[in-house]
Parts: sequence; C-alpha cells; structure tokens
Amino acid sequence: MSRVVVVGAGLAGLTAATDLSRAGVEVTVLEARDRVGGRTHGIEVAPGAWIDGGAAYLGNRHTELAKTIADLGLKTVRTTMVGHSRFVLGRDRVTREGRFPPLSAVALGDLFDHLDDLAHRVHRDAPWRSDVADDETAAEWAQRILKHPDARAFFPLFLGEMMATDPADVSVLHMAFYLSSGGGLRYLNAFEGGAQDSRIDGGAHQLCQRLADRLGPDVVHLNTAVHTIEQTPRSAAVYSATGMHTCDAVVVAVPPALADEILLRNIAPARRTTARTAPGRAVKVHLIYPEPLWREQGLSGWSVNSNGPLMSTVDDSPAGARAGVLTGFVTGREATRYAALSPAEQRCEAVTQAAEVFPGLPEPTGFRVSNWVRERYSRGCYAALFGPGDWKLLGPHLTAPHGRVHWAGAETSTEYFGLMEGAIRSGHRAAAEVLAHRQPLPW
Amino acid sequence: MTVKGVSEIFGRVLQVGDVEAESDFFTLGGDSLLATRVLSAVARDYGVELSFDEFAIAPTPAALAERIASLR
Repeated sequence: MSRVVVVGAGLAGLTAATDLSRAGVEVTVLEARDRVGGRTHGIEVAPGAWIDGGAAYLGNRHTELAKTIADLGLKTVRTTMVGHSRFVLGRDRVTREGRFPPLSAVALGDLFDHLDDLAHRVHRDAPWRSDVADDETAAEWAQRILKHPDARAFFPLFLGEMMATDPADVSVLHMAFYLSSGGGLRYLNAFEGGAQDSRIDGGAHQLCQRLADRLGPDVVHLNTAVHTIEQTPRSAAVYSATGMHTCDAVVVAVPPALADEILLRNIAPARRTTARTAPGRAVKVHLIYPEPLWREQGLSGWSVNSNGPLMSTVDDSPAGARAGVLTGFVTGREATRYAALSPAEQRCEAVTQAAEVFPGLPEPTGFRVSNWVRERYSRGCYAALFGPGDWKLLGPHLTAPHGRVHWAGAETSTEYFGLMEGAIRSGHRAAAEVLAHRQPLPW
Repeated sequence: MTVKGVSEIFGRVLQVGDVEAESDFFTLGGDSLLATRVLSAVARDYGVELSFDEFAIAPTPAALAERIASLR
C-alpha cells in the first residue's frame, strides 16, 4: 500500500492522513471547501482573539483528542461559569444560581431516570442489537412516558442542547445510543468534570490547521469536491471536477449525507443514510461586545429559553477577555426555521431576544452566525440524526470497508459519536484498517 | 431508618459506597442533574416531593431525612 487518498480534511480525515503518512504511505487529502476543519471553524472576534463557530468543548474522557492537542502543542482552557443563570420558560424571567431550571425537580429527575435506564440498555459496540425501540421516535416516547408538564416542556430543550435534535427526528435507540456513546447522561450534560469541561485555547480550528500544516502544502488539496470513486482489482481512482487521483485505497471521511453523494462505481453501494436520517439541527449565533457585560450584573451568560431562536446562551468570551462573546445555540426544530431567515432577520431576532434575556445589554458591536444547517459541505451539526429504523439498517456496515474504500468520520465511531473525540478515533481506526490490508491485498 | 434509605439513594445515584449520614451530596461528586434523580427516588420511596432549592440547602442524608420526616 503506497498511495492513499483521504476525502475530507476535517478531524477524522486529517487524523487518518497523519497516521498513514507516519507509516510511510503517500497520502493526498481532497477537501471540498476552501478551508480545512470540517465542523470545527474559528472566528476571529478581536485581533488575535478567536472563538469556535463549530465544535468547541471537550472533557477528560476525550483521551485521543487530548493526545492530539498535546502532540500539536495546543493548550486547553477551562469553561468557567461564574454567576447566576437566566431562565425564560414561558412568560417569566427567572434568575438563579447554577444551571438548574425553575421546574419540578422530581419531574426532571423522573425524566433523567428514564433516559439513564435507556442509555444503560444500549449495546455499546453494536447499538443495533440493543434492547431499545428502534421504530419509535423520541417524541412518541416522550408522549407515552412523560406525564408531568415540566418534564414534557424540558425534554425538547434538553435534547436540543445535548444533541441538536428535535425529538421527532431521532429514534429512541439513537437518543439512548448518543447518551451512552458520549459517556452517559451526567457526563454529557456537565460542564465542570463533564464533556463541556474545557475548550481549546485559541479555538478548536487550530487542530486541523496544524495537522494540515504538518502534512505539508502538497498533501491537502482545497476546493476539490470528490464526486466519484472507481475501483478495479488493482487500484482505485478518485474523481473531482479538477482531476483524477489513482491510489491503492481511499478513506472517505465526510458526514454520511455527503458520503452518499459520492458515486461508488464497480461496487454494490450500501447507503449511509435513509429517508429518515436528518441533519443535525444547530445554528450557532455569536453576539460580540467590547467585554462580557453580563458579568457586571452577576450573571454567567448561561440561559435556557423555551422560545427561540436562542434556546440557550453561554459566555464564550475568549481567554484573556479581549472581547465579550455571548454564544446562542439555535437547536432542534427552531434551527430549521432560523437557518432559512435572511441575515438581517437573523440578527434582529437574536439581538432582540438577547436584550430580553439580559436587559440592559446594548446593541452588539459584532454579530456572526455559523449556519451549519445550510452548510453545503457539512449538512448539519453536531452530527447526523438517525431516525426510526436507521440503526438496524445502517449500523451493521457503519465501518465495514467496501473493497478499497474505508469509512471515517464522527458518525462512524460508536465511541463519542458525533464529537471531536469520535472523529479522531474514527480516523485512527480507518488508518489502521488500511495499513492492516497493506500486503498481501485480500481482495 | 430514613437516613439509611436516603444514604442508599445517594450511593445508587452517585455510584459510590460509603455514604454517611453527614456526607455532602455535592462534595461526593453530585451535580444538579443527579440531585433531581435523588429527589425522584425520594418521591417514589417516601411520597414526599422536594424542590431543588430544598435539597441544595440540606444536601446530606441526615438533613434530608429530617426534612422528609417533617413533611410526611
């Protein structure tokens, strides 16, 4: 095995390319966009001060990500949340300590008990074999199981924040799988000591930039969208609008919906999405101020809101606070509506709501939207949403190579599915597969 | 009696052994999400519905048992 083409210069693809390159393989990475990074993307909010327009958070269980961070000479910063939270649930605006909403604790405890029970019933290595319903949506499940109005009201907010989905999008199995895969309900939900414990100092986009820089300028080809992969008994050929690359193996490291757009010739195609698979429904909105003004009022910037567009907000100010950044998460069904608005409407709605949640907040000096729902070469964020039946159909061949074609990407990892950690693990796995097949060729 | 029962709930929710009557839930590694699961278990076992704030003021088995006893 001397030549490999990697499709996609996100974390999964660049991790695979790095492993292969280190093993002496001649690697070419083809990236459709004019940048590397995939669902990580840096936004400069003040000279030298960057925030994450995409994936941002990590925790201590993200061990492969930690190795990559250390290897690239990057550092992490803790996600601090000092001060009171705001909750606008219905008509009332409530200010209180901590992240707990002003709802019935017993009702929410019941909800979390149910979710925890589901997560524990997931077969971690083969989710499609779990003892959890794959034919029911999370919305139907909630309708059947949740009796208390507070639990019913909170469930879509919780699921939106946790996995950028509307409850109607995902099967109960996918919801349970996602919770299990990410380390369990508590770990996924927590900031301190959980999956949102830290961020990468200077932005997560540096991971891919540095990986690409190390691979060298001739390795990563930007603006090169792959449309066809052809394979023969002796080789594979990868086609883009600008040319053709022959190789011995291909690693496709793009989200499932994009992988399905690539035509695989000479091999029975196994689809990676179905009509029920939905794009992750998240838009990230950044309101930029000269400084974190809410802190002066004793507020953390954290809010949870039952009405959109900003379903939750968090203080995303860069370390050193050369700017104050309030990041709003538009998730679930609301993301689909908001994503379709004009930029002026998006700004107006977000600024109006921010001023309602945090009275006294002036007009922001900057405003940025990371519209992942409309992003041509991501097709949603945080990750693809598996609908009813998807796991049974798609799960068994999530990682199975198709001849010379291997699959990577955050959605191919049953560990930390959809997260940076999952992407990196999938990249290592795909590279190891390719190297194991080196000689003699088994096909 | 209730103290022992609440200690067991703490242990189950936090997945730790050795919960004592005066052990603080948050010091043992609890957070608000896990606290709600203690309160749902308390409601099931003792028929008493406590709020998150009531729990946060008295997050030990002994104090919680006293609170439960006063409300039953």
